[in-house]
Amino acid sequence: MLFRLALVVAASILLAAPAIARPSDSAPIEIQFKDHRFSPQTLTVPASRPIVLKVTNASNEAIEFESFKLNREIAMTPGQTVTVRLPALSPGSYDFYDDFHQDVPEGSIVAK
Amino acid sequence: MNRPTIRALGAISSILICLLGAARVACAQVDPWEFEVYPYATEGRGVAEIETDNAVIASGHGHGGEGTAAGDFRSQGMWYNQYELTYGLTDRIEASAYLLMAQPSGRGYWYAVTEYRLRGRLFDPGVLPIDLGWYAELEWHKTPQFDNADIEMELRPILEEDIGRFSFIANPIFEKVLKGVGVNQGFEFGYSAGTYYRWTRYLSPGIEFYGGAGLIDGTDPLSSQQHYIVPVIWGELPHGIEYNLGPGIGVTRGSDRVLVKFNFELEQFIGALFGPSSEQGWFF
Repeated sequence: MLFRLALVVAASILLAAPAIARPSDSAPIEIQFKDHRFSPQTLTVPASRPIVLKVTNASNEAIEFESFKLNREIAMTPGQTVTVRLPALSPGSYDFYDDFHQDVPEGSIVAK
Repeated sequence: MNRPTIRALGAISSILICLLGAARVACAQVDPWEFEVYPYATEGRGVAEIETDNAVIASGHGHGGEGTAAGDFRSQGMWYNQYELTYGLTDRIEASAYLLMAQPSGRGYWYAVTEYRLRGRLFDPGVLPIDLGWYAELEWHKTPQFDNADIEMELRPILEEDIGRFSFIANPIFEKVLKGVGVNQGFEFGYSAGTYYRWTRYLSPGIEFYGGAGLIDGTDPLSSQQHYIVPVIWGELPHGIEYNLGPGIGVTRGSDRVLVKFNFELEQFIGALFGPSSEQGWFF
């Protein structure tokens, strides 16, 4: 009985997913990885509003765009662009870095 | 109450409902090789990860079939070692192979189980109000002294919600014997769940919950069920090695009293087999 109920709940969530998807109402903010660094390295974004990042790996090596504080981790092959959706951020500074290359300078997203 | 607080309470309530739901039905084995809560995120496309999950029963039971020991050996002093290789097939799906070993007290290492698993995430993070994933595994039990079932299937939905620096993760577990002892029985239910605070990249706290709920249509007294609370520390060591470790406290008579888990993993990009997943897609 419990298993059937779980199946029904899971199916309902999946079917309803497109309807309840969070809106991405802000224009994407672009970040590019090239020459072993992110550009820009510091982004200032409005606090308390969801934001969308477009991250492009313009280098010829694989990278992992990662932010510990924001709990995002995305491996990217050369030339790949990914969309990173972030929830409304509290005012503060949030790190991002390439987890495959520890010598790449860390960037930050500053929410004001 | 502000909105993040209400969402935090909602997430905590969801996890508690999972745990209470588990407590209402009969409880059986917790997988002692896998004191790990699976997050929504999968391994990146083209990334390989090697991982070892370990648990030692510091204070357990003196007879086989009790506590974490399902078979002939006593759980007291048992070492469980799991070695796992995972590869990111696509941006949303990963594949894993496992080798499970155990060392019953004073009896040397035994080869116990081989497992193969696919795990995926639905949509991209932040698209849904709660991030959802899935997990499907086949287990070949090689040594009847640990478990009489020959082949088992395990399915888990994965639910994750991030609120500020907190992550709330729940893995309800549904397991079915496909061959061997118990093949005529239905699904067993268990759970793993965790709450984590992202303090620093190198050291952060969390608390995990594990339990085995036995056959869904069966009932056992609560005292014979197994439930564990595991406060953990987790983070990254030099050279990119990630760790998650802590003591587990059994909270019922059927549980082992104290165990210690220590998991380590290391990932490396080795090359992608497939192209990037479509951002409009939700499964592959």
